[in-house]
Amino acid sequence: MLKLNPTILVFIMLGIGIETSFVRSVILNGVIALISLIYLLLQRPNLKIVGLMLIISIPVAFGTWWSFIAFGTGDTHHLALVYATRLYAYLLLGAAVTLTVNVKDLLFSLNQHAKLSNTFTYGLLAAFNLVPRVRRQVQIIRYAGALRGITYHLWQPQIYFKAILSALHWSDDLAIAMTSHGFSEGFPRTQTVQEHLPKWQWGLVCLLILAYLLTAIIIKPW
Amino acid sequence: MQTVTESKVKWLLRDVIFLAIIAIFFGVIFEVWSAAYYAVAATPLKPYANDLTLGVWLMAGPLAGAILQKVGSSTIGEVLAAAVEMLLFSSWGAANLISGFVQGIGTELGFAATGYKNWDKLGISLSVLTTTIVTFIWDLFNSGYADYKPSLMITLFIIRLISAGFFGGVLVYFIKKLVAKSGLLKR
Repeated sequence: MLKLNPTILVFIMLGIGIETSFVRSVILNGVIALISLIYLLLQRPNLKIVGLMLIISIPVAFGTWWSFIAFGTGDTHHLALVYATRLYAYLLLGAAVTLTVNVKDLLFSLNQHAKLSNTFTYGLLAAFNLVPRVRRQVQIIRYAGALRGITYHLWQPQIYFKAILSALHWSDDLAIAMTSHGFSEGFPRTQTVQEHLPKWQWGLVCLLILAYLLTAIIIKPW
Repeated sequence: MQTVTESKVKWLLRDVIFLAIIAIFFGVIFEVWSAAYYAVAATPLKPYANDLTLGVWLMAGPLAGAILQKVGSSTIGEVLAAAVEMLLFSSWGAANLISGFVQGIGTELGFAATGYKNWDKLGISLSVLTTTIVTFIWDLFNSGYADYKPSLMITLFIIRLISAGFFGGVLVYFIKKLVAKSGLLKR
């Protein structure tokens, strides 16, 4: 089964994604969305999440479509469809990366093939492991306020301030912990796992981005 | 052997972890917002919802800039926030990372205009202005704002400026003041 390297997926996502922003074509949006969806399904993702993602996006896509019908100029029906389908092109392009690769593999792959520095790779990895703690901390901040009869609103600085305090403490602690476990900033590391990236996959990136560009410029699909 | 070089490496491990944790915190806090956003986004008022909430998504950039005060901190802060959002919470997919980069560059320009010397009122104000303009130009293409009626475009720009001004400007300024008062920044 075809499985692309995470780095390759990111480059395809960004390259095609940027092009999509400037090309107003329903057909191309549809093709991007379809190819992404097929690739996504081939990787056997959690179908519940894929379904939920598609369902949640329906009202937003509908809102987009409707806003161009209501406020658009020019060929509003075509434009409304362009921007509604573009939303799905983006959504599925992103999902083809985020739902098929986990954070750790993605970071290690970018570290080896895209020159993401060790500091960023391992720093980000450390931070991502704190996601459950961050969720709990936000609850704790809320409850601690509620005990004193204070509700923190999102338009007041306090809740962000408290979050930043936690982040400052945690990042210091984590950095010290990593250093004392032998992580050396700015020094070369030995790699225990060498991830293989065949050259043809880089070719695929160039091919896809070029093919999209040429199709958009020369054929100008509807 | 333990090896630490404080001065040579520009981006320290703790800075990277700090920005990433901030990004995760903001992602979690903003999950609350997205419900309100989705309610409005399902109607033709979606562009209004976009611009009204834009300032919220912007906050991570200027905040990272104002707190870390490094060249590139706004851009990296915003890109990280976008990456965290994309990986954990979002229904925008690929657009997230790209617009995060655009927002970060927009904010960065404001601080760069002061020669990276002013991270206070002037720098933050300028960054609000530059990021509003840069993100709006981007949305002319990306979200198709160029195909809306001119009157709506002007209204959206003003709403965006107000939203960015409040969340990315006023609120960031006060958060920064609170953090400065706590004395934790001189680390």
